[in-house]
Amino acid sequence: MRTKLNRGLWLLAALASVPVFAEAEEHGLSQSAVPLDSLGGFVSNSMVVSWMVAAGLIVFARRATRDMKKTPGRAQNLMEWLIESLYGFLESIIGAHLVKRTFWFLATIFLFILAANWFGLVPGVGTIGWGHQTAHGFVIDQPLLRGANADMNLTLAMALIFFACWIVWAMREVGPLGFLKELFAPKGETSGFLKVLMVLVFFCAGFLEIISILFRPVSLSFRLYGNIFAGENMLEAMARIQPGLGWLLPIPFYFMEVLVGLVQALVFMLLCAVFTLLICQHEESAHEAETKP
Amino acid sequence: MMVPMAESMAGVGAGFVIVGAGIGVGLLWAAGLQSIARQPELQTKLQAVMLIGAALIEGTALFALVICLMTK
Repeated sequence: MRTKLNRGLWLLAALASVPVFAEAEEHGLSQSAVPLDSLGGFVSNSMVVSWMVAAGLIVFARRATRDMKKTPGRAQNLMEWLIESLYGFLESIIGAHLVKRTFWFLATIFLFILAANWFGLVPGVGTIGWGHQTAHGFVIDQPLLRGANADMNLTLAMALIFFACWIVWAMREVGPLGFLKELFAPKGETSGFLKVLMVLVFFCAGFLEIISILFRPVSLSFRLYGNIFAGENMLEAMARIQPGLGWLLPIPFYFMEVLVGLVQALVFMLLCAVFTLLICQHEESAHEAETKP
Repeated sequence: MMVPMAESMAGVGAGFVIVGAGIGVGLLWAAGLQSIARQPELQTKLQAVMLIGAALIEGTALFALVICLMTK
């Protein structure tokens, strides 16, 4: 599979060189993660990065919370600031009740995506690996590292895990009946003939709702993958666009990618939070009203 | 050039999608900035909502990107 941006360059190179080598002359990022032969052939370079990021996060979290003090040290202080501000932020969006149930997932997914995105920007990711010598210099076929979220498998896995959690949370909050009611039952106050009409309309709208719900994991995973993959591809294209200036041209885009990495992590977490809120919100307010003496 | 038709047209289509998504994001942030200017104390809340909206608009653009990648 070839990347869009570099296809034109590749064609030019292919016209100029021997057709047999044309395939090997291909530059740019492959669309999917590359399995590494030296790690058994089934471990891909994105998997390596996701393991490194996960291990780094676990080690940091353990170190920061191993020896907790009343006056926090540097690591503990950072961890507390992160968790507290995330908690407050999420609480302001989905409310005090839901945040207690869902914070473990939302915070983990945010920190993991953020760390993975930023780790993918470290120089050496995508440029160190196994390759071969060609007429145009050394070409890398199997980079050791590749941005973890530039692999559709990881983003889809995270989206599906969220989807499973979402169903569990919805069942626990509103129950199977409430779940169906949320989808199909009419909302708002109507009476008489209009009521019959509304029941019909909302029943049909429920099917649309189901389609849009089923589409959510797809859109979540495509969004993250598309952003990170496009960013990596753009950095690669900028580094190659002008020979001799490859060290300078990507720099502004690196700043942009730092921002994109943060925003995408935030967006993934926020969308998960809002989807959860949408299905649990209705019943919760009614429940609160009931329990009030 | 020997570029296959489908591939070149996918690029044109991607351009159209970027126009649409660009207008959408522009309208979103224009409205967001106006409301923040009117009520600065709501900034944090509005920003979160705006980010969600931007993500949804961008999602449509990314579907087009995926289709572009698939057609070649």
